[in-house]
This record gives sequence, structure tokens and C-alpha cells, in this order.
Amino acid sequence: MDRTVTEMTHTHAAAPSRSARDWLYRLLSMPAGAILLVFLVVQLACILAGLLFPDDFRYLSSANMGIMMRSVPVLGCLALGAGVLMIAGEFDLSIGSVYTLTAVIMAMLVGLGVDAFLAAPMGLLVGAVIGLGNGFLTLRFNLPSFIVTLGGLLFWRGAVLLINGAVQVRFDPNPVFNALLSGTILGINAAFIWFVALCFGFWAVMHRHRLGNHIFATGGNRAAATAIGVNTGRIKMIAFAIAGFLAAFAGILATTRVGSVQPGQGAGLELQAIAACVIGGLSLRGGRGSILGVFLGVMLIFTITDVLLLMRAPGFYLDMFIATLIVAASIFNHGLDRRGAES
Amino acid sequence: MSLLELHSINKTFGPLKALSDLSFAVGHSEVVGLLGDNGAGKSTTVNMISGIHRPTSGYISVDGIRQDFANRRDSAEAGIETIYQNTALVDCLSISRNIFLGRELTDRFGFLDLRKMRDIAMQVLESAVHISGIDSPDKMVGDLSGGQKQAVAIARAVFFKRRVLLLDEPTSALSVRETEALLNQVLKLKAEGVSSVLVTHNLYHAYQVCDRFVIMSHGTKVFDVAKADTTIEELTQHVVLT
Repeated sequence: MDRTVTEMTHTHAAAPSRSARDWLYRLLSMPAGAILLVFLVVQLACILAGLLFPDDFRYLSSANMGIMMRSVPVLGCLALGAGVLMIAGEFDLSIGSVYTLTAVIMAMLVGLGVDAFLAAPMGLLVGAVIGLGNGFLTLRFNLPSFIVTLGGLLFWRGAVLLINGAVQVRFDPNPVFNALLSGTILGINAAFIWFVALCFGFWAVMHRHRLGNHIFATGGNRAAATAIGVNTGRIKMIAFAIAGFLAAFAGILATTRVGSVQPGQGAGLELQAIAACVIGGLSLRGGRGSILGVFLGVMLIFTITDVLLLMRAPGFYLDMFIATLIVAASIFNHGLDRRGAES
Repeated sequence: MSLLELHSINKTFGPLKALSDLSFAVGHSEVVGLLGDNGAGKSTTVNMISGIHRPTSGYISVDGIRQDFANRRDSAEAGIETIYQNTALVDCLSISRNIFLGRELTDRFGFLDLRKMRDIAMQVLESAVHISGIDSPDKMVGDLSGGQKQAVAIARAVFFKRRVLLLDEPTSALSVRETEALLNQVLKLKAEGVSSVLVTHNLYHAYQVCDRFVIMSHGTKVFDVAKADTTIEELTQHVVLT
């Protein structure tokens, strides 16, 4: 990452200032350009600080890198699902609860003797079906998905306590399953590899596949997409299912990493996932955004969290920083939206 | 034989009678002005021809063959393209993605052939539609003016070889210059064999380009006349007084 920055800074310095400004303008007008710039600057600063003060600021230590790679994928997968759905023009506030519910179901099944390789797909299926249910209620009764999934958030949170009670569930899968989802390959955490692979997969779907084109069109202008023959109801259902599916996948990653499920563990994650999307440049009104933006939004949240932890800042700073980041990102994106609408 | 024909169409929405016994025809290489005051039933007629509404009774035929459009795709397959006042384009997608929306060029796994779509979009914009200011098919449609957006919609129709364009109030959001360009485009397409139905309440724009006028009032046709047999005063009278 640091090499890219230096290379770019070199071309920067060599070129006349006019083209440097053009280049900056082009970067900023890219879907995730601004966030990419912020991310690169933050990374560069962290790496420099890590090199200058290796004892006080252990950013580059392998322990710190390991913690980062283990903590990113859970929120990352939730944010990917939330992001795809946001681009389609809908919200899902229930993903935090679905994440816990599907993890509890999977862990209970494994506790009952079901193989983890069978229990995990069942968890994913439950997640996707709940997503479809949210979509059905939203579309059939023409409700705001915000309300429907707010109901889902409370309902499934309660359902976890109903089927399991307020105790933690141990998750003890077979070693192969463990290695595939939380092992380490060439020094890189398996969950992180899954997350990056999913990012590439969804990048291809959203930006290079017909389905993604239709998802953007549905979120951007549903009436137009319908008029041109896109089945926008079906597209939204698919997006809801993706959000539920990825919430369940995040649940599997988290559960395998920790080895148990806490019934209250998903609370607040849905908002963090949406926050990551907003920071990554997705429009709350749908139709705008990119997978790279979601990825960078998640990475930025964790980088800043990490920096504050390394500097031993009290926890409340964290929330305040992320809050500032969300609002700043929205102000910037709103400016872009408005410029697009006016011209 | 007429290219597009409506045969005594009735349409009711619950207790409301939107169209009653409406018949008219659009010939080959003909520009027809569908005129009438607000509420005359023009938009319902357009939605019916483009397949969004179904007639309660009566039917539509293309080349004399009876059609039963269930949705917009059906009408598009029959060669009819509707261009709406708020043209059916998605602002946050590029021009080329808009032109191919719903009819993307893909490989057999559904992945987009972006280069081919881009090349064709560029070609169509250069050859078929002459509206200045569109220099790249990668531009976001949201950054275009009203006239440019309609040009993109027309480019889409041209590329997919539509035979009838339904233009629903096409000039209402356009500047004077853009209106001129659009009307010229309609004439140019006519020369190439594409018929148009110009739905408008602006008689002057219609009079500039139309070969025939169909005037509607209260859901039915009250006047149907060739341009040679009428004057703009007579048309105005029929629109205002009926």
C-alpha cells in the first residue's frame, strides 16, 4: 500500500501543477475516490509513525496486523451486504440480530451433533430466507424497509433469547472447518481472505455483471428501471437475500473465531455496517456507491479504531471519531449528489 | 396497412372511464400529433400502447396483427419505444449503460461486455443523434441536460431498431434550441422510416413536424385530420372547444 502512495507522489511532483490538479479532480470524482485518498493518507501516516516510533506506536507489529485482520471481516461482511442493499435503495437494520440468530442456530446444531459443514450452510440459508422475508414485507405492503427491518431487529433479537436463553453457546466444530474459516495461510488470517475474496466477487457482480447493473438502476431510479423492463421487485428481493446471507456469513466467521456465541453480540453492528457504507460513499437514497468504497469504509473504521487503541485513548473517543467521520463523509457525498442534480 | 392501429379501445379504472371507443392509426414513415388538453386521456393512451395498461376492451394491432402487450418489453419487441417526459433513464449510470439497460450485451455468464457496449453507444451517439455536448458514452446521465437525456433515449430507440417512437410531452422540459434539435431528429428518423407519435399540448411544436393530427377530449377522439386539410387555428379550436 505504501509503495503505491510513494509512486503516485512521485508522478505528482514531476508533473506540472495543472495536471496534478486534474488528477486530483479525477480521483475525487471517482465513486470511491475521496475515501481512497483519505485511506491512503491515513495509512501512510500510520506507517510513517510506526517506523519512526516502533516502540510507542506498534502499528506495524505482526500482533497488531493480526488483530486487524481478525477484526475486519465480521463487520466487513455485514457492510458488504448492507451496501449492496443500500445501492438497491433499501435498508436492513435486522442484520445484527440475524447475524446472532444464525450463529446461535449453527452452534446449537453443531452441539446436537450435526457436522459444521452442514450446519453452516443451514445458517446461511436461514439468513437468506429472513432477508427474503424482509423484502417480501417491504415490497408486498409497500412499507419503508427501515420500519420492516427495525421490526426484524427486535423480533430476531427476541427469538435468540426464546430458542436459547441468555446464555452463551459453545461452538466446537471439526478442525478442518476451523482451519478454513479462522486459520492462518501464509501469515494471513483465513477470515480476512474470505472477506477480500467476497469483495472481489461482489465487485464483479456489482460493477461488471448484468445483475449489478440492474441493482444500481433499481436503486437509482426505480420508475425508470421498471419502465425499461427491469423486474425491480425481483432485484430488491435478491439484494435483501444477499444482505441476510452475508449477515449469516459474518456470524459464522465470528463464531468460529471466538468458539462461542453470545446472545447479545450483534447489537449495534447493523448501524456500524451502515456507517461503514456511508463513509465509503454510498448514498442513503440508493443507486450510488461502489464495493471499493464499502471495503475502504470498513478498513478506515478499523484503522482509526486501531490507532486510538494503540494510543491508549479511552473508548469514548472511538465513537466520537467514527461519528465525525460519518457526518463529514455525508456532507461531502451530499455535495457530490447535489452537484450531480443541479448540472 | 397501418403500422400501428388502435381499434375501439375502452379503458376504465374502477368507476372512472379513461378512454372510450378510441381508434386511430399510425402509418409507415408518418408523424402523428396526439393532441388534447390536460386530462384528455393522452397519457393513458401512451401507457396503453407501451404496454403499461391493458385495454378493458378493444385492441392494438401492429402491421395488422393483433397484439396483447402485458408489459413494456412486449411493446418494445413489437418495435414501439416510448420516450417519457422524465425520460426513463437512470441518472447514476453512464450513457452506455443506460442505452443497454435491460438489454445488456453479456457473455453467457451474464458478465457485461463493457467495451462493446461503449463502442456501440459512441457510434449511435455520433451517427444517429446530433445533440452537442455529449462527447463520451461514459458520462453519467445525471450530468446531462434535458435535451441530451432525450437524445440518449432516442439513441436507445434507434439502436434497437424501433419502428414507432412514442414521445410523451418531449418538449416540455427543453430549451428552445433543444426543442428545435429534437423536432429535427423526429423528421430525420421519419426520412429513415421510423414513425413517431408526438404527444403534446403544444400545438405549435406539433404543427412543425406532424403529418396528421389526432385530437382527444374526455377520453375519446374528436378530430382526426391531415396537415394539408387544416390550419393551426382550426386545431386550436378543436382542442379548446371540445
